[in-house]
This record gives sequence, structure tokens and C-alpha cells, in this order.
Amino acid sequence: MKQAIIIRYCEIHLKGKNRGYFEKMLKENIKRSLKGIDFKFTAMHNRYLIEDFNEDDYEIIVDKLKKIAGIHTISIALVVESNFESIFEAVKNLIQDKTGTFKVITNRADKTFSPNSMEFSMMLGGKILEHFNKNLKVDVKNPDFAINVDIREEGKTFVYTDVIHCLSGMPVGSAGKGLLLISGGIDSPVAGYMTAKRGMKLDCLHFHSFPYTGEAAKEKVIELTKKVGEYNGGINLFVVSFTHIQEAIHKHCPEEFMITIMRRFMMRIAERLAKQQGDQAIITGESLGQVASQTIESITSSNSVVTMPVLRPLIAFDKIDIIEISKKIDTYETSILPYEDCCTVFLPKYPAIKPNLDRVIKAESKLDIESLIEEAFRKVEKYVF
Amino acid sequence: MIYFDNAGTTIPSKTALSLAEKFNNELFFNPSTLYRGGLSCSREIKNAKESILKNLSTLNHEVIFTSCGSESDNMAIFCAKKRGVFLTTKGEHSAVYKSFLELRNRGISTVFIDLNKDGSVNQTALFDYVKNNPVDFVSIIHVNNETGAVNDVNTIAKQIKTINNKIIFHADGVQVYGKIPFKLSKDVDLYSISAHKINALKGVGALIKKKGLNLSPLIFGGGQEGGLRSGTENVFGIKVFEYAGNDKYSKLNENYQKIKSVNAFLRENIDNSLFKIISSENSSPYILTISAVGLRGEVIMHALEEQGLIVGNGSACSSKNRFSRVLEACGYDDNVLDGVIRLSFSSETTLGEARTAVEILNETVKKLKGILN
Repeated sequence: MKQAIIIRYCEIHLKGKNRGYFEKMLKENIKRSLKGIDFKFTAMHNRYLIEDFNEDDYEIIVDKLKKIAGIHTISIALVVESNFESIFEAVKNLIQDKTGTFKVITNRADKTFSPNSMEFSMMLGGKILEHFNKNLKVDVKNPDFAINVDIREEGKTFVYTDVIHCLSGMPVGSAGKGLLLISGGIDSPVAGYMTAKRGMKLDCLHFHSFPYTGEAAKEKVIELTKKVGEYNGGINLFVVSFTHIQEAIHKHCPEEFMITIMRRFMMRIAERLAKQQGDQAIITGESLGQVASQTIESITSSNSVVTMPVLRPLIAFDKIDIIEISKKIDTYETSILPYEDCCTVFLPKYPAIKPNLDRVIKAESKLDIESLIEEAFRKVEKYVF
Repeated sequence: MIYFDNAGTTIPSKTALSLAEKFNNELFFNPSTLYRGGLSCSREIKNAKESILKNLSTLNHEVIFTSCGSESDNMAIFCAKKRGVFLTTKGEHSAVYKSFLELRNRGISTVFIDLNKDGSVNQTALFDYVKNNPVDFVSIIHVNNETGAVNDVNTIAKQIKTINNKIIFHADGVQVYGKIPFKLSKDVDLYSISAHKINALKGVGALIKKKGLNLSPLIFGGGQEGGLRSGTENVFGIKVFEYAGNDKYSKLNENYQKIKSVNAFLRENIDNSLFKIISSENSSPYILTISAVGLRGEVIMHALEEQGLIVGNGSACSSKNRFSRVLEACGYDDNVLDGVIRLSFSSETTLGEARTAVEILNETVKKLKGILN
């Protein structure tokens, strides 16, 4: 029996006149994601249909669809000829292992099909009860599962039971472009995933400080970026060398402000790169109070050097919830790989938890900020995934 | 580039590779076959085994080729005894350590004996335990791969057998074969060695087994290696191992003395205000473990690499469990453990390289300490 995948999208149908724009974007994202796989794509009212694919590709297709923002649910339907016997065969196939209560929902796009939907549901329900008399009961109000029969115009019918929940969110690209600061830890890939899910197309920026961080740490960030990229329809990673800035801060500024000043430099570089790349926002994985650099005072201090909006999707998340998402998107195991990251080597014993902005600015004044940033931009590596 | 991570792996010997080349060409045959080519391959494997036994000066043992040192260790631990009490030390390579954890998971009693400060086993504790408790299997690393500390396995095995001659004794000799003059005694029942640590190739190891000792196979199949290790033999790899080994043993003492002087030179010239030397004077000269106290091993490693000196690092990371399990068992504090790097040499290492390395080590670490402290 042939299979087809029914794709339903979510918030898009709330859109008014812009709806076409969102639909087109989602459609293109799906097609791009499934590039290299043979299938037929049909746009229907409020949903898409994928059919005529090689059965071996089925799992790959479902796996890819589950990573496309804007898709709410999918169902795997059996495609049969529009006659009672064929439809019942399909139902038998789908529900042979099921128990509990059910109802039949019939839809006729083909209004010439007789009997009508209500009658057809009753006929099919009766036949099911007769066939599976021991294990199944009808409950039209609150069934354990529904048997959906979708009778199409071209003489074929889709039959399906299960609804698989996907990412939801908005099509990537529909909410502009942003630059994600990615560190190699647990939080930033999650922040990226969440922002991409809301439709923002991401670029990534990583600060590398050889020899304080090694090639293995960079490889780890590349792996994480690729994983985030799966939700982003591909991704660009920019790696900026940060060693000279860390050394300069360490040499000239009070130890307690090391991290605070470092983060101010990161934000300045991020904003400059974002503007070059046409990104409209900076995204970080900060979560309020998680570490000394993520108190409101520290955030104020790093935020004050940029004018571009800084999105912090994890700001009110507990670590445990962030970890849960990172496991779901399969970045956790990579994130916890043990390599030096640039924050740990220069970590002061007692970092300023509530850095006073005036004192930070004064501490920073010993540095030639502009030329340090210029130097960083001389060594930008770009990776395209 | 100066390569001082030879305890990790070594550069394959061009001579050994070219001597063995014909086993990738005209003598490509499967050694289990009965036509001439196959037979001559099987004869060559036999010769390789004899060479190894000759190099270890033993008539009491036989050789089983495996795929690596880890496989040899696993075979020794899982295939000689199925039950009983298994004893080892806290200074073992992970191939032994993790195998013991697996034994423990399977409900078998395991014992881990403490170490001395240099990484060698505390012999008093070891013999006390064996005297006062039932023990069936003992595994002790011959040269500790992290500190170079030497356990005199011949003497230890003899003493253990005197206490209880039913005990099966295994030693991991991966850091010894081809490096340290040593005659394998009949008290050692099982001995693991590896090819790629002596300028041969990755993918070949051997378990030396005392004649008459019964093992069960770890890998079943076509019955190669006396039925103990099935799988078509890696004739090329085995021959490279043989040639590289024979080359080492043709000038073993000479090399040993040379590396001793390399080691001594480094010990004398490494700035002791920057480094603490972990390896004891009695350690294998092929391994010199030091710590730049207060710095991180991984950072030093990267900085040295940039200057053209490749070293091994003891502590890899910034997370929990960042320290080496073995060095922790030696009783060092966190500051020392953090800064550990391992310099390890091959017979090819020269005094000239050591001179350059000392300069790089002292300068790089001095600079890093200046920046970071």
C-alpha cells in the first residue's frame, strides 16, 4: 500500500493578507530540506502533501520534516482507491495493534462519492466493530484514537490515524536574520534553536582563543553549529580570534572585570559583524543569574555597548529546562565534551557579580578598543554548512 | 616538528614498511590457504612470532596476534578465568581499568591496589592483600603509561606465585616491548604488547601467553591463532611489527642509554621554577611527565604545538573528572594535576631535539605564566 505524508502548519493560518508570504516560505524550506530525495509535493487547503517517494526514504523524510519550523503536525497516510473495500483494508492495516475507543472521521473532497461522509463513517465504524469485535469500542466524543478517511477528488483516498507533533513555530526566514553568539556550552545552541524556530534565520559567531582553546574546542563548536543549522536550513559560522583581546584585558584591567570587559568586546564585535552580514539582532544564550556574567548588572554592562536588539530567549529558563531542550535537539552530548573554552582559562577567582558600569568603563579606558577590534576582524574565518 | 608523544603512537618506520611491502603485493595471500603463497604467508607469521619470543628471551611462551594492545588486555582479562577474584592496581591503562569495571558490573569481585607517589604499585599493600585474601587473577601494568613508573613484573609475579601458584598473572607491557631490556619470566602468564608504539603500524598487537595456559577465544570464526583469535591475519601489519621490533632489539641497550641521556638532559635543563617533575628517576626513560603548576595542560599543549613541539597532555579538560585518574591516585593536588604534560620519546629521539624542546618548553611556559598569572 502506498504511503503519503500530510503536513499541517500552525500559526500561519492566523495570518491575514500576509499568509501567502508565509506559506511560500514554508513550502520552499520544505523543498530545500528534502533536496536530493524524489517525491511529489502538492499544496492543498491548509496543508501540504508529500507522496510518490521511495519507501526507503520514508524515515529520512519524516526526520527532516520534524526539524522544519512552521510545521505543526504530520500524519502518515495510506493511499488507496476510493472504494469501501480498499479503504477498509487500509484501516485494518493501520489499527491492527490498537485497542480502546475510536471514531471515524470522513471528509469528502469528492462530493460525488456516495454515500455521504456521515453515512460512510457509520458504515466503516460498523465494519470495524464487526472485524475487531473484542478490542475496540466507539466513542465519538472522546476517543483514544481517530480514524481519518480523506476521500480526494482524483479517485484516491488517504487513510490515517496518528498525528505526529513537529516543531511548530514559524518558517525560518519569515522573522528576519540574526547573529547567534555560540560558545560551545549547553545554552547557546538551545537559544539558537528557539530563535530559528520562531522564524529568524541565523548566522553564528564564535570566539576562538588559541592556544587557550584548542582545535578540538573549535571542532565542537562546528558540530554544534551544524546541529543548529538543521533547524535553520543551513547556517554560516564566523570564527573570530579573541586571544589578543583576552591577553590585553588580562594585562591592563582589574581581574574582577575580566569577564565583564570580555563580554563587552564580544558584543561590540558581534554588532559590527551583524551589520556586515545584514543581521538585525544579536542572540545570546544568557539566562538570568546563571553565572556572574549573567546578572542584570552584567547584562546591563554588556548591553550598553550596542544599539542593536539583543535577544535572550533563555533569560527566564532554569538550567534544567535548557538541558532538557538540548537533549531534545541532540546538542547536549556535544556541549558537555570537555575542552577548554575561552571563558574558563581566564576565569578570575572572584568575578564581579554586580559590575558597576562607571568602574567598568574606567577599567576599560586603558585599552585601545578600536584597534583591538580591528585586529580581531583581520582574522575572521567563515564556514558554510 | 619535534614529536614527543611517542607513548601515544610513533612514526611508522620507513625501513620496516619497505621490508614488508611484498606482503601487500606478491604475497597478498590468505595465510589459511593451502597453496604455496598462502603457506608462505603462514610461515612468515610463524617467523614473526619467533622473533617476538626471541626478543623477549623466552622459550616458555607463545604469541597470539591481536588487533591492538587493548584487545590483548581484554583477552587476558576475559578469557583466562571466568570467575574468582580479580586484582589490579589504580595505575592501569583504561584497557585494563575499564575491563575490570565491566567485570565488576557482571558481579565479579575486583580489587584495585593503591599506588606510590611515582605511579608504581604499592607492593606492601599488594602482597598483604594476596597473602590474606583469595585472589585468582592479577593484572599489573609493567610501565605506567602516564608517569613511566616501572613495576618489576618478573619479581612481583614470582612473589605472587610463591604465595599462591594458582593465580594467573598478566602484565601490560605496551610501553616496554622494544624499549626496555627485559627477559619475560615464566611466572608471567600473559603479557600484552602493541606494534604502533615501536614505529610499526596501528592495528596490530599481541598477547604473549605461557605455553599450557588455557584461554577461551574472545573472537570466534575461522580458527586462526590456534582458534583463540579468529579473523584473517594482518600479514603486512604483523611483518612491519616484526621488522620494527627486530630493529629495536638489534640496538636495544644502545637506544636505552641514549634515551636515558635525553631524559637526563631534559630533567636538568627544564626550568624547575616553572615545572615540577612528576616521573621519578627510576621511571622508564622513554616517558617524562612534568607539570607546569598553575597552568592548564591543554593550554600548554596548544601553545607548544604552535612552537613546533608536540607533547601529550594528562588533563584534557575544564569539566568535572578533568584530571587523570592515574595521576590522582598518585596523590597530587589539583594545581599540579591541572598542569600536567607528558613528554615521551622513541629510539629515534635525539639530544638535539631535546635541546630545542627545552628552550621551547621554558620559553613558552614562562610566557604563558606571565600572561595568565
